[in-house]
Amino acid sequence: MRLNWLIGGQQGSGVDTSALVFGNALASAGYYIYGNREYYSNIKGRHSYFALTISDKRVRSFSFTVDILATFDAETLFQHFTEVKKVVIYNKSLEGTKVEYVQNMEPEIAEKVVSFLKERGYGSTVRDVVEYLKSKGVNAIGVDYDGIMRKVAEEVKLPLSVVERGKNTIAIGASYGLLGLGKGYLESAIRNVFKNETFVKLNTMSAELGMESVPVMFPLKEIPVKKERVQLDGNTAVAIGKIYGGLGFQSFYPISPASDESVYMQAHQEVWYVDPKTGDKRKKTVVVVQAEDELSAINMAIGASLTGVRAATATSGPGFSLMTEGVTWAGMNEAPVVITYYIRGGPATGQPTRTSQADLFFVMNAGHGEFPRIVIASGDHVEAFQDAVWAFNLAERYQTPVIHFVEKAIANAYSVIDLEELGLDKLRADRGDVLLSPPPDYARFKITDTGISPRAFLGSTSMFYTGDEHNEEGHIREASHVREAMYEKRLRKLETADREIPEEDRVKTFGDLDQKVVVVTWGSPKGAVLDAMEELNEEGIKFGVVQIRMFSPFPKNLIRKLLSGKEKVVDVEGSYMAQAGMAMKLFSGIEPTHYVLKWNGRPMGRDEVKEALKAVILEDRKKVVLHGGA
Amino acid sequence: MELKPEWSDWCPGCGNFGILNAEQKAIQELGLDFKKVVIVSGIGCSGKIPHFLKIPISGVHTLHGRAIAYATGIKLSNPSLEVIVNGGDGDLLGIGAGHFVNAGRRNIDMTVIIHDNGVYALTKGQASPTLRRGDKPKSLPLPNISDNVNPIALALSAGYTFVARGYAYDVNGLKELIKQAIRHKGLAVIDVLQPCPTYNDIYTKEFYDKRVYYLSSEKDWDPVVRKPEEEGEKMAKAMLKSLEWGDRIPIGVFYQNELVSTYEERIVQQAPSYKDAYPANVEIEKDGKLLTLVDDILKEKKV
Ligand SMILES: Cc1ncc(C[n+]2csc(CCOP(=O)(O)OP(=O)(O)O)c2C)c(N)n1
Ligand code: SF4
Ligand SMILES: [Mg+2]
Repeated sequence: MRLNWLIGGQQGSGVDTSALVFGNALASAGYYIYGNREYYSNIKGRHSYFALTISDKRVRSFSFTVDILATFDAETLFQHFTEVKKVVIYNKSLEGTKVEYVQNMEPEIAEKVVSFLKERGYGSTVRDVVEYLKSKGVNAIGVDYDGIMRKVAEEVKLPLSVVERGKNTIAIGASYGLLGLGKGYLESAIRNVFKNETFVKLNTMSAELGMESVPVMFPLKEIPVKKERVQLDGNTAVAIGKIYGGLGFQSFYPISPASDESVYMQAHQEVWYVDPKTGDKRKKTVVVVQAEDELSAINMAIGASLTGVRAATATSGPGFSLMTEGVTWAGMNEAPVVITYYIRGGPATGQPTRTSQADLFFVMNAGHGEFPRIVIASGDHVEAFQDAVWAFNLAERYQTPVIHFVEKAIANAYSVIDLEELGLDKLRADRGDVLLSPPPDYARFKITDTGISPRAFLGSTSMFYTGDEHNEEGHIREASHVREAMYEKRLRKLETADREIPEEDRVKTFGDLDQKVVVVTWGSPKGAVLDAMEELNEEGIKFGVVQIRMFSPFPKNLIRKLLSGKEKVVDVEGSYMAQAGMAMKLFSGIEPTHYVLKWNGRPMGRDEVKEALKAVILEDRKKVVLHGGA
Repeated sequence: MELKPEWSDWCPGCGNFGILNAEQKAIQELGLDFKKVVIVSGIGCSGKIPHFLKIPISGVHTLHGRAIAYATGIKLSNPSLEVIVNGGDGDLLGIGAGHFVNAGRRNIDMTVIIHDNGVYALTKGQASPTLRRGDKPKSLPLPNISDNVNPIALALSAGYTFVARGYAYDVNGLKELIKQAIRHKGLAVIDVLQPCPTYNDIYTKEFYDKRVYYLSSEKDWDPVVRKPEEEGEKMAKAMLKSLEWGDRIPIGVFYQNELVSTYEERIVQQAPSYKDAYPANVEIEKDGKLLTLVDDILKEKKV
């Protein structure tokens, strides 16, 4: 069972809080949830929305077409009415509002809405939209928001202007009412989120009155919860993952959608650990520094890594552009630094709060000169957590920068997962070749067969680092044979990594790989692809799915093995140039035969991926471009 | 490590030799544990300095302009290290100016030494940010079109809590200044007048020798802030003094204020465990088992 719900409203009007309350209520009733958050690069006033898929089983995606559309302003209705299939909740007192009057809507969007309605013989008011929806068989429920707010204001003895902030909770109440679940879950969710007594009272009452204004239409039953479950967004998943992995130092310069990770860490800079000598539980400090720019952020983190601490930074495209010179220094000096790279829409400032997968080739090649780099990509919240630990292990084992991709689509979405999925006990630390007490003749860049030199930390003995080419001791050298030896030593590490890291860890497979059709994807589309696969399987359409988890070193052998001789290799990813497909061709010689691509800044919805895969598989459409999302 | 001295590849007569000798002696005379001393440098002739010391300290020769950033990461991860930054005037006040200014806001307990030669020496003598407008050292095709920054005034306004100027050819005097800077609790900067005989034929040894004088030779000069209420006055005096340039050029300590908390102390205030359990002093795994506990913070996410 999958129920799709969407709530929207102006940024700053409590849309996020509503989605949180609603989600919490359903989670405590035993449901799994996947939620995607869309918002403008704006603080107050622009349209934002949250789309949730609610399921009795684990779910990894959302859908742009929804069963329930919950609105309390006019714009949300105008922006999303074409996406609703069953029920829309709207504000009755706004029936006369015209598209043209909604100031905060981009004119191009308003125009599109007006002409859509006009072509179908409708005017441009909320009432027109409601009429249109009714004609399509959608149940439109007009809620008397104003009446409810007046009642609440009287009851709690607060001015209407304060009570108005609870408008969103009425929408939540109405949505919840459609499901017929006991109101206890909603009430405790409100209590958890609001805390302050007055707000709890105000919101509880608003929610109840909302509930009372709708009939039960999608009766849900409580599901007994057997396992411990957590709700994780991508930023927090990475932050906790890094902390678990032993993070000692994180530097950052604020940028969407990366900074929430670092801000979370600032709020949790003291954490518990077990002192291995005594076995006691003690507190330790993770140093989190807000740097003056990304040049500083990356180089601070690299400096920190030289002292033997696990060091990282988090950024997105514009920030990483500034960091590239630092990354080359880390490559040259074999410094284990982790960069969590939250992809947003580029180039330039691009779309700061929208998703993208278009930075893959940039990162694969970022920085001058040749040096080993490891590039991994998470496809969901569990992977985001685990990869944060993996990234440190790889960085320290191969003594080189690791770039960990997490897209905005993962950063700002959340999943309800079983705690055990995180596999805390299975995650291990690999610090690589470390020398805690280096000998007197220690040379940091000793040439070895694997290319990996024993690593000592600053403070333990004399050692030298330089971004210039250097000898084993780390002193500047330009001799051609020293250059060759060092150059080869560094790049040999990438070959060592390629040999050592099981390709099975670099590629994940799902579904039936014996089918003639295989879908190749990476990063955030994974969830939509897998959930669409489940639904398509039920319709008798079968295929295998290959998720690329590591791009450097590229798992070429396994990719070849999995994809050779397939009738269709469908590349599903979020770039115009189909960059993962390019990488696949470059490294493994296998080229996708079909494409499902998207670059409008919105994540892939399960619904559109399903339709696209159908078109590719059943009608042999070579390329489908997805457009979903307001 | 067994010492294999590197050959210093600076031009004969370069002021960098004076800084090298003074810095090395200062470290020795302070009796610092060499393996705990980390010299972090930028890019330029000046940036090569850590490689040329004849004592077994550690050196981190970084990127053009970024030495302060590296030093920050090193020091905050392991506050038991003695961190000294050496950089050119172009490095610290041009391409790295943002870090130079923002470091002042943090007041991390480390020392910054500016090799102030008025030129971008390693790229063959273009104007550096400290070169005055109208100056035309022999390496410039035209007189310098931009005004200079005043490193002393900039450091004062940025929040450096020890601000001094030294002279590369007065090795003993510079050594003493470096010792004071290292001992200072907080962020110290020394702007070292460093003749570059190859490219800068204006600010030469001859030029400085007859102009520099020690502030300490002036009756009543007391740059140390001992009470909070002295801060404004001492800062104003230092600012005023920083404008003096011409026939007489002051060197020595312009300002010192240990009343300002260091960044390390500020972290301890927010996170008391930093005092002992700072990042480089904590083990994160044992036999591959991760030791950090996240149960508590995961509990906050329970649904
Ligand atoms: C990002 C970057 N830009 C330019 C350079 C070229 N470069 C090398 S040294 C230098 C100037 C050095 O001048 P300064 O910092 O004053 O040091 P000095 O050589 O005078 O000691 C420049 C511009 C570089 N290494 N990196
Ligand atoms: S160019 Fe100038 S600064 Fe560089 S080594 Fe020669 S004299 Fe010294
Ligand atoms: Mg210079």
